[in-house]
Amino acid sequence: MAEAHPVLHQPWIAGDKSPAQVTDEICANMERHPSAAWWIAFLVSVAVMIIGFAAIGYQLKTGIGTWGLNTTVGWAFDITNFVFWIGIGHAGTLISAILFLFRQRWRTSVNRSAEAMTIFAVMCAGIFPLIHMGRPWLAMWMFPYPNFRGPLWINFRSPLVWDFFAISTYFTISVVFWYLGLMPDLATVRDHTRSVWRRKLAAILCFGWDSSYRTWQRYETVYLLLAGLATPLVVSVHTIVSWDFATAVIPGWHTTIFPPYFVAGAIFSGMSMVLTLMIVARKTMNLQDYITPRHLDAMCKIVLGTSGIVALAYITEFFTAFYSGNPYEQFAFWNRALGPMGWGYWIMVACNVLIPQLYWSRRVRTSVVAVFIISLLVNVGMWFERFVIIVSSLHRDYLPANWTGYAPTIIEIATFAGTFGFFFTCFLLFCRFVPVIAISEVKGILSHGQPRGLHHAAANEPSGEGKPELVGAGALRRATGEVRP
Amino acid sequence: MSESNPKPYWKCPEERDAQENFLEAARDEFSEPVVVPTNGFGRRNFLKSAGFAVAAATLAGCSRAPVEKAIPFLVQPEEIIPGKAYFYASTCDGCSAACGMLVKNRDSRPIKLEGNPEHPVTRGGLCAVGQASLLGLYDSSRYLQPQAQGKPTTWDELDRAITAQLLAIRANKGAVRFLTGSIVSPTTRAQVRAFLKTFPVARHVVYDPLSSSAILDAHEGTHGSRLLPHYRFERAEVIVSFDADFLGTWISPVEFTAAYRAGRNPDAQPPRMSYHAQFESRMSITGSKADRRIRIAPNEIGLVMTQLAQRLAAKAGTKLNWNGLTASPMPEKELDDLAARLWAARGKSLVVCGEQEVAVQVLCNFINHLLGNYGATLDIEKPSFQRQGSDRELAALVEELRAGKVAALFTSGVNPVFDLPAGEEFAAALKRVPLVASFTERPDETSALAGYVCAAPHRLESWDDAEAVVGVVSLAQPAIRPLGNVRPLMETLAAWMGAPKSAYDLLRERWQKDVFPQQKSEKSFQAFWDRSVHDGFAVVEAEKSRVQSFQMAAVQPLAGTKPSAFSLVLYPKVGLLDGRHAYNPWLQELPDPVTKVTWDNYACLSPAAAKRLSVIEGDVVRLELASAAGSGNSIELPVYVQPGQHDSVVAVALGYGSKLSERFKHIGPSWFLAKLTTGDDGRVGKNAAPFVELRDGALHYSRADIRVTHTGGRRPLACTQSQNTIAVPKNLELPGVNRRPIVQETTLPVLLHGEAGGHEGQSNAAHEMWPADHPSTGHHWAMVVDMNACTGCSACVVACQAENNVPVVGRDEMLRHRSMHWMRIDRYYSGEDDAIDVAHQPFMCQQCGHAPCETVCPVLATVHSEEGLNQQIYNRCVGTRYCANNCPYKTRRFNWFDYLHDDTLQNMALNPDVAVRTRGVMEKCTFCVQRIQAAKIEAKQRGEKVADGAIQTACQQTCPAQAIVFGDRNDPKSRVSQLLKSGRNYAVLGEFNFQPSVGYLKIVRNRAESEGEKHNG
Repeated sequence: MAEAHPVLHQPWIAGDKSPAQVTDEICANMERHPSAAWWIAFLVSVAVMIIGFAAIGYQLKTGIGTWGLNTTVGWAFDITNFVFWIGIGHAGTLISAILFLFRQRWRTSVNRSAEAMTIFAVMCAGIFPLIHMGRPWLAMWMFPYPNFRGPLWINFRSPLVWDFFAISTYFTISVVFWYLGLMPDLATVRDHTRSVWRRKLAAILCFGWDSSYRTWQRYETVYLLLAGLATPLVVSVHTIVSWDFATAVIPGWHTTIFPPYFVAGAIFSGMSMVLTLMIVARKTMNLQDYITPRHLDAMCKIVLGTSGIVALAYITEFFTAFYSGNPYEQFAFWNRALGPMGWGYWIMVACNVLIPQLYWSRRVRTSVVAVFIISLLVNVGMWFERFVIIVSSLHRDYLPANWTGYAPTIIEIATFAGTFGFFFTCFLLFCRFVPVIAISEVKGILSHGQPRGLHHAAANEPSGEGKPELVGAGALRRATGEVRP
Repeated sequence: MSESNPKPYWKCPEERDAQENFLEAARDEFSEPVVVPTNGFGRRNFLKSAGFAVAAATLAGCSRAPVEKAIPFLVQPEEIIPGKAYFYASTCDGCSAACGMLVKNRDSRPIKLEGNPEHPVTRGGLCAVGQASLLGLYDSSRYLQPQAQGKPTTWDELDRAITAQLLAIRANKGAVRFLTGSIVSPTTRAQVRAFLKTFPVARHVVYDPLSSSAILDAHEGTHGSRLLPHYRFERAEVIVSFDADFLGTWISPVEFTAAYRAGRNPDAQPPRMSYHAQFESRMSITGSKADRRIRIAPNEIGLVMTQLAQRLAAKAGTKLNWNGLTASPMPEKELDDLAARLWAARGKSLVVCGEQEVAVQVLCNFINHLLGNYGATLDIEKPSFQRQGSDRELAALVEELRAGKVAALFTSGVNPVFDLPAGEEFAAALKRVPLVASFTERPDETSALAGYVCAAPHRLESWDDAEAVVGVVSLAQPAIRPLGNVRPLMETLAAWMGAPKSAYDLLRERWQKDVFPQQKSEKSFQAFWDRSVHDGFAVVEAEKSRVQSFQMAAVQPLAGTKPSAFSLVLYPKVGLLDGRHAYNPWLQELPDPVTKVTWDNYACLSPAAAKRLSVIEGDVVRLELASAAGSGNSIELPVYVQPGQHDSVVAVALGYGSKLSERFKHIGPSWFLAKLTTGDDGRVGKNAAPFVELRDGALHYSRADIRVTHTGGRRPLACTQSQNTIAVPKNLELPGVNRRPIVQETTLPVLLHGEAGGHEGQSNAAHEMWPADHPSTGHHWAMVVDMNACTGCSACVVACQAENNVPVVGRDEMLRHRSMHWMRIDRYYSGEDDAIDVAHQPFMCQQCGHAPCETVCPVLATVHSEEGLNQQIYNRCVGTRYCANNCPYKTRRFNWFDYLHDDTLQNMALNPDVAVRTRGVMEKCTFCVQRIQAAKIEAKQRGEKVADGAIQTACQQTCPAQAIVFGDRNDPKSRVSQLLKSGRNYAVLGEFNFQPSVGYLKIVRNRAESEGEKHNG
């Protein structure tokens, strides 16, 4: 047991907090008035969101022609942004499901917000396939619904159809998983808050959580099952997204390496996004004790690892192109690096391969400022990765007569910015109205009141006010089958 | 019971106690007083008003609705079945070549023009201009009324006013001048002559804005008769052209292309492949087809011709006392070889020259004379009427106008204020002419200054005839009632001569008198007339023109003039020509066959010249005469870098910057980033006509001593193709294949004697993974494009646009690479400066057997038909554009906006058989599926199989070179399946096994094998 060696392992939650303190501190963010900083951030986000939606409205009214696309480059900002946001979402599921199954206990501090981020990111991502359609008002035709148009069905061979199913499944599971994890905390909110309406709302939303042993047991069984269900989704969603390209015939798209490459890239970018958000959140919401440099360190290691996978994929792509003997393929990659859009490629390499190497240093990994900057750069790099794959492959394909360029219009830029506005608006509202840290789960890893290096079921501990969440934290550990001394 | 036992039941104690007031109250139904509103809007009032409203609405509904004529034929016109297309034979008047054409009518309106395959001169082709001239009919900018002093008037009033003035002119012996372009209509010509005869002083002045008067003048000198020979390219085995773009714009390109193609058919038995050498200063499409293309400056043409004539004279044994000739600018050996080739093909060779210098044309005649080509490849006994202009007479007229000696000027078919060099001066002179009348279809620079405008009908609205070459008389018949109150020239003149007659009667009269006696096959005139109207032409035994034997006296050797840093070459562009069609959006948006630029004219510079001036494409340069720098006669144009152009030449297209193009300011989708199609002056391009020089009795299209300066401005060119070669850019070369086998070439010796040629990129059926995936057992439509025959003339592009309702998108969209043309012609260069080869590759949807687009569409909007077609279902399409991304040929087109016609009258030209696509929908070439269906229905009605050749796609039908063959590849006897088996056939990207249904036949260059290798690709 890792916790058996206290010298090697500092506690994940600093400050030797009591469970009651945890409840107070986390609920405080919801119960006090929002700060001026929050208001500024919120208003800016809403403003950007409105600009973005205005741009979308203009585009819907006028036509896809308001984007910089052309006959040769049929996808650019739209699908780049789509893949980017889907990628961002991945870390949430990874943290909540895979790390849960792998007993990475540090996840408890970040899983709630990472999952929220997933949901908001998938919502942002979902905008793009919808508005990139020439006739979005016919989007329901993507559904395989019974109709009176003869045997008119959808095309099950089309990766876009797979995409549609993959993303809608992913979104559904993510929402359910997130909400399920939220239920004990909603009960805590119900019991803790002094505000009448908040108590009533939380009472409804927590489905009358009674903290009984049986409730906890069922809850944790369902949680475990959902984690198991969500785990393949982490892999499948981005795999299927990558098939949009991998099954196409365009040189630079048509490659079997895409599924693992895309999944690794998604985790890479998603983790970085979590880092970005958590660093801001811990600072502004006084959560330094809950999200410690140790958490950052752990996440940076994942970023470093996935950066390595992504780098390997970049190299493999070039090798495959060279080894294939296919001149079109070779040219596509040579053009990617040295052609007119080569600058995008080198931004991608710098941000995704070179800069994350700094994470080899523990000092960098635990420096909040460094991690913040690098995490931003990684996301810039990952956005460019998708841009490079999509646009640089399309703009110079088989017949040189068709070669064109691409530049986004202000409408596309505003739309992309608008999704950030939407994302942050959602996230800021989330910070205000939902416990940003899974209170019940964090209590499970408190060192408070425990003999050092030993594990006790929290239920045996003196519980002070005997708050139900204490029972929950202990039950969680039992249900997850943790080995106890 | 109840009576016997009246037991009192009570409801409440008050009742039991029977209080008086309670009982009182209980009797009343309502315990509180009921207030009935009397002064407000009560229930009854409400019901009354509602009743009134219903009654009023019912009454209103009973009134007569505005009449909408949804059913056009309550009285069915004879022979017209709604939905069925009819074809009328007619003659094109897009230029003075007068090609035979068929007018496709649906529901009494013309919707498409096609070449007349039976026409003996043009053999079924129709060029881009001819195809697009349909839009001229449905053009709301046309004059629909005659005009007097800029105001609409009636024909009666106009006739009265003009005849009154003419009476006075007759009495005062005023000079009457009739200024026209070449009139190919003998009846109109006769009518003009008759009209002018009524005046004591009158002259018919003919000029062509794209003049060939030097050829006529030269023949006057050498053969004693001012005529234009009828060139017979099909009879020539060696063709040498000096700056004559005979496949593109020179005199009669459709006819010449068909003839040229007939002489270059490597598949024929025995193979025929003429040798074509082109001397030119700029890159024309004719040069792009040449087996040997030599760049020379315009001032060197006379010199090279002199050298060639001298060599041929030596072979012919003709003594010449030409001494001290300047050395040839090209290697002596090459000139010797060319002379030897020509000499070997005596009587089967043809030398043509596009230079507007009489002395040069005389040399050209001399060469043809030495080679014995007169009577063989040049017919001067039955000459051509396609160019009749005399620039000498034009010069004289300009002098007269300047001197104010003209009393009345009539113009028809020309726009002198725009297309003459001294247009402004001409305009000023016009103001001094008391009577100016312009016969024109639409407002132009000249009609704006004319006191009277005689609104002329469109070709499809009136009767006319044409005699392009002696012996072939064509007819034009109306296919629709005139859209406006218009009157053809010959009718107007008849009215002014006091004997009003319809054009139909005038034509019949003249045909009965002049044409009918020249033939013997029909006994009655009516039968002859009926057949001629049906066929669109009549071949008659015309009188041969008398020519003298060759006059040596006129022949003089020429020395090259001194070279200048830059000389300007003005050229007509395919489509726009001299600018008469500048109103036509199809032609404005048609990519130039060589430069692929739309919507603008530009200054072409060779790569070396551009480097010398340190300019790149899109940089604006100022062109002005070095002698008159700063005098204001300058033109600012963006640069286009043209490989293969002479380094001392700057070439500019004519026909741009006219008033006709002002209508295009807002063409295309309007949104907040959209830029105007027109330039700062509100017009498309700049008019280069002021640089044309009327000198020595000829309009000259090249000017020496031009100063080219970089202004620092930029105007990007809306070019549909940015990559010029099939090789990857130099900086991205890798060891291995850098030249893509998309365009394949071979040489004649290799084709005839060598192996069939390595079939690069041929698909390999052995690697088929799904052999019986979707077998097509019935028809399997396929197409073969002969790249050797294709000249790039782009007639197919406009034909496709007309047939398939392809929208016009405007310059800004073209700049954004969003052309909507279903058919495009890719143009690739290969080779270095002096030996540039050009390949034209027409590209349409390849209708792949394994179509990458089909698998990716999420909603099954693109599917495979049983007949091998890749179908696009517009109303199912949601517009993900995935199919277009996955199309390796990028032949799919997306509706980025709602593309409406800027002129709604143009909707009349829409083909009702083809759906008009809305915004957000993908579209593409369908192999003209509506034509396939029509032919299948027709065959089924007759109970027959669809015959090979019964289906002609729009592009195939119009192709003057017959480069496109369409048919059923499951029929082993069809032409298309024969050609698909040809050794020249290959599939583009065949190695990927997309199984395209379009085969391409390799280009064959008639040159030595080693040369071929050097140039291949």
